Amino acid sequence: MIAQIKEFITTIPVKKVSVKDLLSFEKNFANYLVAAFVVVGMAMLVIGVITYLGHGHHAYNVTREHPWGLMIAVYIFFVVSSTGLCIVGSLGDVFGFKDYELISKRAIFGSIVTILAGFLVIAFEIGHPVTMVIYNVVSPGLTSAIWWMGTLYGAYLAFMIVEFIFLLKNDMKMAKYFGLAGLLIGLAAHSNLGSVFGFLNARPISNGVFYPTYFILTAFITGIFIAFIIMGFRYRLRFNEEVKKMLTGLAKIQALLLSILIFFVTWKLLTDIYGGMPDRAEVAIHILGSGTFWAEVILAMVIPLVIILKTGGKAHVALVFASLSGMVGIFFMRYNLVHDTQLKPLQMLKKVEYQLPPEWVHYFPSATEMMISIGGLAFCIAMYWVGTKAFNLDADH
Amino acid sequence: MKVEVSRRKFLQGSVALAIAGGTSISVSNLLAKDKGKIEITTKTGTGEATFVPTLCEMCVNKCAAIARVENGVVTKLDPNPRFPKSKNMLCPRGNAGIQALYDPDRLKSPMIRDGKKGSGKFKKVTWDEAYSYIEEKMVKILDEEKDNRSSFLFCAGEGMAEHTFKQFYQAFGSANWLNHSSICLQTVVSGYGVTLGAYPQSDLENAEYVIMAGANRAEAIVTPDTMDMFKRTKGRGTKMICIDPRFTNTAAKADKWLAIKPGTDLAFVLALTYVTITEEIYNKKYVEDNFAGFDKYKQSIIENKYTPQWAEKITGIKATDIIKVAREFMAHAPKSVYYPGRRSTFAKNDFQLRRAMAIFQGLGGGIDCKGGLVFGSKIKLKGHEGLEPIYDRARSRGVDKKKNAVKGEAGYSDCAVVGGGGSWVSWRNRFLEKRMPYNVRGMFIYKHNPVLNMPNSAKTIEMLKKMELVVAIDTMPSDTVMYADVVLPECTYLERTDPVKTFGGVEPSIAQRNKVVEPMFESKPVMEIMQGLTNKISKSIFEITKKHDEEVQDLIKEDGEEAAYAEFDLTKPFHESQEKINEHAVHDHHGAAEELKKHGVYYPDMGKYYKQVSANVHQYYIESRKSYSVNGGKPKTKSGKVECYLANLSTKGVDPMPIWRDEYNFNVPKGKFRLLTGRHAQFTQSGTANNSVLRDLIFENYIWINKRIAKAKDIKFGDNIEVSSSAGKVTIKAYPTEKIAPDTVFFVHGFGQESEALSWAYKNGANDNAVIEDVTEPVYGAAAMHETNVEIRKV
Amino acid sequence: MARYGMALDYKNCINCKACEVACKEENGVLLGADKHRIWVGVGEIEGEYPLLSIVSNTFYPSQCQHCDEAPCQMVCPTNATYYGEQGQVRVDPEKCILCSYCMNACPYDARYVDDRTMTVDKCTFCTDTRLERGETTTACQNTCPTKVRIFGDLDDPQSEISELLRTREHFTLKANLGTKPKLFYLT
Ligand SMILES: Nc1nc2c(c(=O)[nH]1)N[C@H]1C(S)=C(S)[C@@H](COP(=O)(O)OP(=O)(O)OC[C@H]3O[C@@H](n4cnc5c(=O)[nH]c(N)nc54)[C@H](O)[C@@H]3O)O[C@H]1N2
Ligand SMILES: Nc1nc2c(c(=O)[nH]1)N[C@H]1C(S)=C(S)[C@@H](COP(=O)(O)OP(=O)(O)OC[C@H]3O[C@@H](n4cnc5c(=O)[nH]c(N)nc54)[C@H](O)[C@@H]3O)O[C@H]1N2
Ligand code: SF4
Ligand code: SF4
Ligand code: SF4
Ligand code: SF4
Ligand code: SF4
Ligand SMILES: [Mo]
Repeated sequence: MIAQIKEFITTIPVKKVSVKDLLSFEKNFANYLVAAFVVVGMAMLVIGVITYLGHGHHAYNVTREHPWGLMIAVYIFFVVSSTGLCIVGSLGDVFGFKDYELISKRAIFGSIVTILAGFLVIAFEIGHPVTMVIYNVVSPGLTSAIWWMGTLYGAYLAFMIVEFIFLLKNDMKMAKYFGLAGLLIGLAAHSNLGSVFGFLNARPISNGVFYPTYFILTAFITGIFIAFIIMGFRYRLRFNEEVKKMLTGLAKIQALLLSILIFFVTWKLLTDIYGGMPDRAEVAIHILGSGTFWAEVILAMVIPLVIILKTGGKAHVALVFASLSGMVGIFFMRYNLVHDTQLKPLQMLKKVEYQLPPEWVHYFPSATEMMISIGGLAFCIAMYWVGTKAFNLDADH
Repeated sequence: MKVEVSRRKFLQGSVALAIAGGTSISVSNLLAKDKGKIEITTKTGTGEATFVPTLCEMCVNKCAAIARVENGVVTKLDPNPRFPKSKNMLCPRGNAGIQALYDPDRLKSPMIRDGKKGSGKFKKVTWDEAYSYIEEKMVKILDEEKDNRSSFLFCAGEGMAEHTFKQFYQAFGSANWLNHSSICLQTVVSGYGVTLGAYPQSDLENAEYVIMAGANRAEAIVTPDTMDMFKRTKGRGTKMICIDPRFTNTAAKADKWLAIKPGTDLAFVLALTYVTITEEIYNKKYVEDNFAGFDKYKQSIIENKYTPQWAEKITGIKATDIIKVAREFMAHAPKSVYYPGRRSTFAKNDFQLRRAMAIFQGLGGGIDCKGGLVFGSKIKLKGHEGLEPIYDRARSRGVDKKKNAVKGEAGYSDCAVVGGGGSWVSWRNRFLEKRMPYNVRGMFIYKHNPVLNMPNSAKTIEMLKKMELVVAIDTMPSDTVMYADVVLPECTYLERTDPVKTFGGVEPSIAQRNKVVEPMFESKPVMEIMQGLTNKISKSIFEITKKHDEEVQDLIKEDGEEAAYAEFDLTKPFHESQEKINEHAVHDHHGAAEELKKHGVYYPDMGKYYKQVSANVHQYYIESRKSYSVNGGKPKTKSGKVECYLANLSTKGVDPMPIWRDEYNFNVPKGKFRLLTGRHAQFTQSGTANNSVLRDLIFENYIWINKRIAKAKDIKFGDNIEVSSSAGKVTIKAYPTEKIAPDTVFFVHGFGQESEALSWAYKNGANDNAVIEDVTEPVYGAAAMHETNVEIRKV
Repeated sequence: MARYGMALDYKNCINCKACEVACKEENGVLLGADKHRIWVGVGEIEGEYPLLSIVSNTFYPSQCQHCDEAPCQMVCPTNATYYGEQGQVRVDPEKCILCSYCMNACPYDARYVDDRTMTVDKCTFCTDTRLERGETTTACQNTCPTKVRIFGDLDDPQSEISELLRTREHFTLKANLGTKPKLFYLT
């Protein structure tokens, strides 16, 4: 048995990567920009983490009223990206849509690095990550959405890694099994993440079935955005026909998904506002008045959808940029989700003598939170870069 | 982190703190965003502990507490349920007493000034050096003033050991004594004193109708009134009418709040009286039997037409409300109370106001009876032998007698009557204006902070600067201490046994403050300070007396020096320990001394009657043993009558009965605001400003300004506002609120310390007395604190 | 086994905050504006001087409700939040990972972060201090000047609190959420 495992591992096709390899890239502006971002981002990560280790949560702008901040949003951003990539990757190797096999490996690898980035960020958000690992097992909170989410994502990561290995080994059958398992667990994990908010009785704006389903939808959307970006990067915006075909296909799916999303969000807001239920309607109206909400709508929904519809999904280069816009929008979407949940104070009474009556809860991330978050992204890109060097991420024909 | 280290050191160095057995001192220092954001609280342990019954001294109420001591550290103060006056409660300040004990800024050793006055520079000295310094200066001054003992002023704040200090003053032989009364309750005590014969208590446990005017019991905590009052308001037994120019926490608990124009309460009471008399709804039998001069008063009320309509114009309270209150009050009488109040001198007419209130109360007959005003009884203590030698050269009190005063005019230029506690503000001003009949060159200050607590701080500072010798006995480096020449550190109340005290009332008792822990650093109880000081100076200043006092020279000739000296031996009142003195004081009550040590409280048959009735109710006395009525329902005046008309007052230029005068009308020049001052439940005057736990609850004071005015002036919450008057100016943050009238502003008293030695209180908020002008009322010269109009400006 | 609850005669409350100080001193609660286990809430006064609404200024003392169906417990991934033997909702700092989920889930704003242990803290009903020593009531109840609180065993029909809840009208906060609070406001 052990020998078999040993053999299995040693036969994973990995290229030897030297530092030199890692530093060699085509010298163009875009690559320099990315490289510079990675270096600066990693430096920020180090500074951010050191500050955090020195001051704990005081380095963050989280408060009693707003206990979850930017890093929770960024964590969600990453794990949603991961789930999305997993869905996109599965189109080819689980569901057998041949057109999409092209991106399977990249997508699956992407889903691994994004979730690792997510875990990295959350490790510095959660006060005691080591305790978490121990007590998640020793003392599982089975009624906790976070427990399920965390546990399932742990399993999901394992399945994705195994799937990726089978993909590398070109064992499509096994990849399919693990892919399917990974996908199902990922979807479960992901809707559980939605339920982390959906279960919040205390927060009428988030409470309910909306987020668990919405999370799956937006994950798929995110996956497609990232697929465009990955492919754009891989082919330096000069796509061959095969890729174009796939991208057009993805774009069509994306158009459908974005339409559904807009439909969803519209109805969510309408039902929130309708009837004027306190705590919910007020918050929804407040959301409508916030810049970050419109950033989400315009960047993640309107721009990509308009471009796809205008060009029939064939303006692939434009769509790569639209996807970049989409990802910025998706970031706001996550940030809004976290922030809007906590917008309304749990109680509206003054507690100390000289104080204005509580109104909306304010929050703006601290430098440390931003540095760790940006660092997470840099870490993600760096890992991906290492992956492109170490593995053959193109589809084998 | 620096603070944390010093805080630990502080604790270790002083009480040899052992962190064991579940007791831990938790210290943490947040990223010090705000100045003074340092935290220390103790979690109580589950291991061994000792319990010491004591009395709180975080304010004047003296509630009974039980200190929990673990490994020599006081970890908790709990209420002592046995004390009828405090009824098993400690207020926020009482709970925060631990922080007074462990305040790192405490005075730790005697100090002598080592720089310019007020520079805050002191050098640490031994007790003996401090005493010697005092001795040297004292001998010099007394010699130069030819043994005029009154060339020294003695002043003290209220406290259980005030008496010990006062004994020193008496033995020393000065005639200049000033205490808090003329900046606190002089007019109410005297107003009721001359009208009803005593300053009564209110039986709020049984009253059915209460007029709370100018008294903020929800925030200015007075026991047992605060506890008794608010359990029964809101339709639960007592109807309470709150009369206050501000909407206070007491107003929030009232059935009705009537916003009154500051200083016009007298018109309100006169109109109540008018309604009562004209509608003939007063207790005729009571008035007939127990009133003196009623007809004159009645005539005055009616002839002057003190109608509700007249009062409405003056007070701003609707005539219909006045009529309603008068009728309701009388309908509930005698179980109705016009609450006498505590800090009283708001306006110049205050003495007359309190008289009018007392008379109005009498009209309902609610005097010396259940549910009305009560005198209560008191358990007797045996006196301790003091010493009051006669110094021939000592001059009488430093007053400014009016030259050729005619009959019907005050004999003094500052006020009509000089009370026992004196008039602080007038005294200070006389001193500064050189209107003293002789030189006063030195002063002793005990537990008192006149710089912060007297109107016009600048003048108080000037006075302290001009004194050649200022000796301050305090626990903290207060603003006043900063102007001292010699600073003597007293230990805090938790580190000493104080004179046993008897508390009169419906349920009288005796209570004792027992030492909880040994004094920290080099601090000592005032008793021991007095022992040390008098041992040092007694003989040497007697030499001065010998030199200048012919009577004493004669006495020595007759009886010999030793015998003569015995009468002047200042050490005499301080020979015994406080514990011994207390035992002696309660000697007549069998078992009391032991009870007081064990339980902190004693009253007859405590063992028999004291019990817990329910979670929140304790029984002290059975109903039949309560002292609701001790004088047959009569006032305690010599005549046995409610004194409406006091002819002897008119000989002193004081109205013999309460009447309204035009100059009492409230008016504020356009663009200015009337400044009010007062209490906050989480703060005691100037004394708790450095208390970390309390400052956590109220970080600094803000100026209340009407919201609409603020809006017009573009003042937002938290904006810095400069408040100025002829006395000075301060800067304070704005709190726009509808709880105050458009022409009035208010801020909580006790903030704005200038002493840099107070790390947390320093320059925190604003000192109201820096802008309050030194206006006094004409009868006792008490400081009328709400007669200042200020200008405000956003800065 | 007892099931502790608390009844509040909240109309007695004068907003003095003795309870808050007593709690801090008894339980070693950190200082700092948002570090408190217990508080008094008050609304902004309504109306214009001098026509103000007295009721708009009512004081609402509050603390952890020790919910019988506690959302904070349900969401806790490591069971760090647990029900004590007498129904108290407690936090085990050993197990708390500071995910802050409970802070978000508690409808009553009862939880805060203790900076020493970097775990979530809240009212314990003085379980690890006073109750453990065999005392029968909490620090906040004991010290209150106007005697707002009554602490006791809800399962004992003879207890003062049970008697009160039988005989006096009361309400719980956010009752619609189904959290079954054990803090009862007496009207
Ligand atoms: N928490 C706390 N309690 C304390 C103290 C403390 O420092 N802190 N100090 C103790 C001491 S020494 C004292 S003397 C008492 C003081 O107790 P109180 O006299 O009850 O308290 P104050 O706040 O000084 O003032 C009473 C109220 O009078 C109002 N007022 C001002 N001018 C007028 C007026 O013209 N007419 C009417 N009707 N009302 C007016 C003020 O707005 C204020 O609300 O409190 C004692 N208790
Ligand atoms: N503007 C304005 N002025 C006021 C008032 C107001 O409401 N507004 N209130 C007035 C009233 S009612 C009063 S009673 C007075 C009070 O005025 P003060 O009698 O001066 O009382 P505190 O401000 O409490 O100051 C007491 C001083 O005693 C010290 N001290 C505390 N405990 C001890 C101890 O155990 N031993 C010794 N030796 N010292 C100790 C403290 O450090 C502090 O310096 O202020 C009056 N002044
Ligand atoms: S009222 Fe508060 S501060 Fe004053 S003596 Fe009582 S417990 Fe102490
Ligand atoms: S101690 Fe009592 S009266 Fe004071 S704030 Fe707390 S509950 Fe209210
Ligand atoms: S009040 Fe909040 S913290 Fe307390 S038990 Fe209920 S949900 Fe939990
Ligand atoms: S912060 Fe601690 S107590 Fe709260 S849910 Fe997370 S692990 Fe449980
Ligand atoms: S019950 Fe104990 S822990 Fe809870 S608020 Fe009261 S004093 Fe604090
Ligand atoms: Mo006072």
